[in-house]
Amino acid sequence: MGQTKQEEEYGYDLFPERNAGKYKKGSVAESLLTFNHKCQVMLQLAVETSDTSYLVGLFKDRHFACEDCDGTVSGGFDAATSQIVLCQNNIHQQSHMNRVVTHELIHAFDHCRAHVDWFNNFRHLACSEIRAANLSGDCSFSNEVARFHFGMKQHHQECVRGRALRSILAVRKINRQAAEKIVDEVFDTCFNDHAPFGRIPHGKKDAKFAHRDYENRNRYYANL
Amino acid sequence: QTPRACSDYWSEYRHCRSLWNRFHHYYTYGTSPSCYQWKEDYYNCKACEKSTGGEAKQEALQRSERNRVAEQRKFSPVWELRRDPPSDWHLPLNHEKPQDS
Repeated sequence: MGQTKQEEEYGYDLFPERNAGKYKKGSVAESLLTFNHKCQVMLQLAVETSDTSYLVGLFKDRHFACEDCDGTVSGGFDAATSQIVLCQNNIHQQSHMNRVVTHELIHAFDHCRAHVDWFNNFRHLACSEIRAANLSGDCSFSNEVARFHFGMKQHHQECVRGRALRSILAVRKINRQAAEKIVDEVFDTCFNDHAPFGRIPHGKKDAKFAHRDYENRNRYYANL
Repeated sequence: QTPRACSDYWSEYRHCRSLWNRFHHYYTYGTSPSCYQWKEDYYNCKACEKSTGGEAKQEALQRSERNRVAEQRKFSPVWELRRDPPSDWHLPLNHEKPQDS
């Protein structure tokens, strides 16, 4: 598999620091005074306060990377290295960082618990994107309003569909209609797959209860 | 033992009924949430604790919880679940990747 095929077909061209095939380590000064440092700081805070990182066995230094990315993409999950990539040049607010981390953690979770064929199976990709948009807060009412998308009844689902579609189109060469069809095919199943939360976390209380259920899981399953 | 502490059922019930939750439920599903099951589970749970004629209540509670689990699994999965995590999950990163991988 040549380098160019990977770049174009799997969206690696959005993450230029990754597709050279080598990792470049910058100088100390570079890392202290740039977006990289800001990214690392925000990441630390996101992981410490995250409602989700307890779910996946992750080490910050091994499984997270702050890099420059192309365009407006905020982050990604690199299945080849089991790493979450955060776009230091496109994430400037802590709340945005928290949301991206949660979104990518869901991809990491899916990669960890299932045989997800990221590169060849569009249904798998679509499913994980639907789940990530659904469960990360990407489509919360306030986030949608901030994007000037005003909608109420079942708007959450519209948003999830739209964002999953966007994500797929951003990283794969596929036409819009084909992508829409795939999203439609897997939507019901994947929208209703709330693992590992058991619910769609809309806020702190949902997250707290989901965590409580997790802590309680042994007792729960033993007494069904 | 009951599947959850009785206070958990009550807090879930209160949360279900809250304005915040009702708003988000409507935003997500276009309907009002149905919360009575949590309340019923709470009363059944309390009855189990008292252990007077708690048998039937215990069963009712367990049935309700098994129902909840079934609801979560009520779809055919898109992918196959793993038995173990991916073998390369914790492997150190290669700092020099081979040109043809």
